[in-house]
Amino acid sequence: MTDPLALDPVLPVRERSERPWNLDLPHDERFAHFEAHVTAGGKIEATDWMPDEYRTAVLRFVEMHGNSELMGVLPEREWIMRAPTLRRKLALTAKVQDEAGHALLLYRVAEDLGKSREAIIEDLLAGKTKFHNVFHYPTHSWGDIGIIAWLVDAAAIVAQQALRDSSYAPYARTMQKICWEESVHIMHGRDVVVTLVNGTAGQRDMVQEALNRWWGPLMQMHGPRSDRAKDRDLHWRIKAKTSEELRQEFLAIYVPRIRELGLVIPDPELRYDEAAGEWRYTEPDWDELRTVVTNHGPRSEARLEFRRLNRDETRWVRETILAGSPAVAA
Amino acid sequence: MTASTALAELLLTMADDEFVAGFMDSEWTGIAPILEEDVAMSSISQDELGHAKALYELLAEVLDDGRDADAIAYDREPEAYRHARLLDRPRGDWADTIARRFLYELADEARLASIGGGYAPLADLVAKLRREERYHRMHVLAWIERLATGGPEARGRLVAALAGAGEAAATVFTPLDGEADLLRAGILTRAFDEAEAAWRTDLTRVLVPLGLDLPPRIEHGPDGRAGHSDAFRWLWGEFTSVRRSEVGATW
Repeated sequence: MTDPLALDPVLPVRERSERPWNLDLPHDERFAHFEAHVTAGGKIEATDWMPDEYRTAVLRFVEMHGNSELMGVLPEREWIMRAPTLRRKLALTAKVQDEAGHALLLYRVAEDLGKSREAIIEDLLAGKTKFHNVFHYPTHSWGDIGIIAWLVDAAAIVAQQALRDSSYAPYARTMQKICWEESVHIMHGRDVVVTLVNGTAGQRDMVQEALNRWWGPLMQMHGPRSDRAKDRDLHWRIKAKTSEELRQEFLAIYVPRIRELGLVIPDPELRYDEAAGEWRYTEPDWDELRTVVTNHGPRSEARLEFRRLNRDETRWVRETILAGSPAVAA
Repeated sequence: MTASTALAELLLTMADDEFVAGFMDSEWTGIAPILEEDVAMSSISQDELGHAKALYELLAEVLDDGRDADAIAYDREPEAYRHARLLDRPRGDWADTIARRFLYELADEARLASIGGGYAPLADLVAKLRREERYHRMHVLAWIERLATGGPEARGRLVAALAGAGEAAATVFTPLDGEADLLRAGILTRAFDEAEAAWRTDLTRVLVPLGLDLPPRIEHGPDGRAGHSDAFRWLWGEFTSVRRSEVGATW
């Protein structure tokens, strides 16, 4: 667990209310104070006044993150029943449980910004909001389970570590807990992969084939290069790094680790350019990314439909709970 | 029958019960009715699987035939599993899960309360298991009450689920071949029929105030822990599929 004392202290209510953007000033003055505070590295709490643009941007960002955790449960969940040893079964169940728990934490952050959990899930299932590209693909073997837990989570954590310093303090605090748990997932995934590469020829093929399948989506995961100056999420310091910075960081850390295990990365162009100080790679297929994240990926519709069915089947339970809740009865 | 054969039978039935219960419940991970229950049900199933693992490890020591806990847990034909017929049913809806868990959790407690000090490693383990199972009972009792008093649909589903599971509920207490030896060795402090009576008292305390029926008394027969359903054969096919794909490999 994250040590609560390591987290940024929340200001007492009175002190907070005296912050200039919380004073009863004309909108433009408040906005200017708010922007100066945030761009200088200051934090915002749920109870602070905030411009609509900021609230909407944080909500959209956190909502997509929460949706990705919720949908990210599905590909791995299919393998909980097939885990080949008691230890793997326990670890995989705990990992998938963590992802469901992350969705819960993130939806709570989003709810404070004004959108209910029901509305978030309804929009997701209606295809109005998005989730990460990697969760639109099928899984084929136990090798995928190792590669997902190791490399998909590694690519995610590169982005997530930078979010621990997000300007929106409730999100930043949530990310500290999430990052800690994700780092355990990476160890679990690497252990699965190491066991497979040291196993039979069939197991080694299983994990190499999984890497071949996942490399494309992994390279697309952080998105196309963007113009730092035009990125409003960077301006508001909701996030700290551009897509390309995140991809370079992922490659710098993980290419050597993948090769160390004797696995072959399926990109003949992949190399470190000493002069430029960055990794070169085959341009990721951005058409595929656009197709996939607009819910036209190989498993997009099936996964959404699975969630819709499950939601219908369990609706009576939620209605029972709400009918019995004192808040509703009162 | 020697005391160690009888002990092996007891450990295998307890471990298989927890293993199958844990597998069925782990299926809710990620698809429970609310996210809070995703997390809760997943924790419970991890506890059950952890208990199964600890019991299979004890069994591996007792048998000492070269098989480890995983080999015992996974590398048997479906017919060789000895879990109670109560746990042999498909996962079903949330009410089925709550009904099955309720009947099983209370039965498991009555069984754990019957374990004596005759085999110290088991007595030590049981003390640990009972500390965790207490929370499982609190969870399932809250749900039983909530569904029983939560309006016609919830109550109707719960009544149907309890009726569906009821006929097999007492199979957790299917007499063991070596029960007399276990009693003599102090591994059991009371016979399973006494444990079953204690379980009925516990059930009565919960079900009667809610106006719900107790499961029927049954004649224990040879099929209490044998002759498994298609639901279990499906489950077995799933949980052995990766392992069977490369026989003898390390995973």
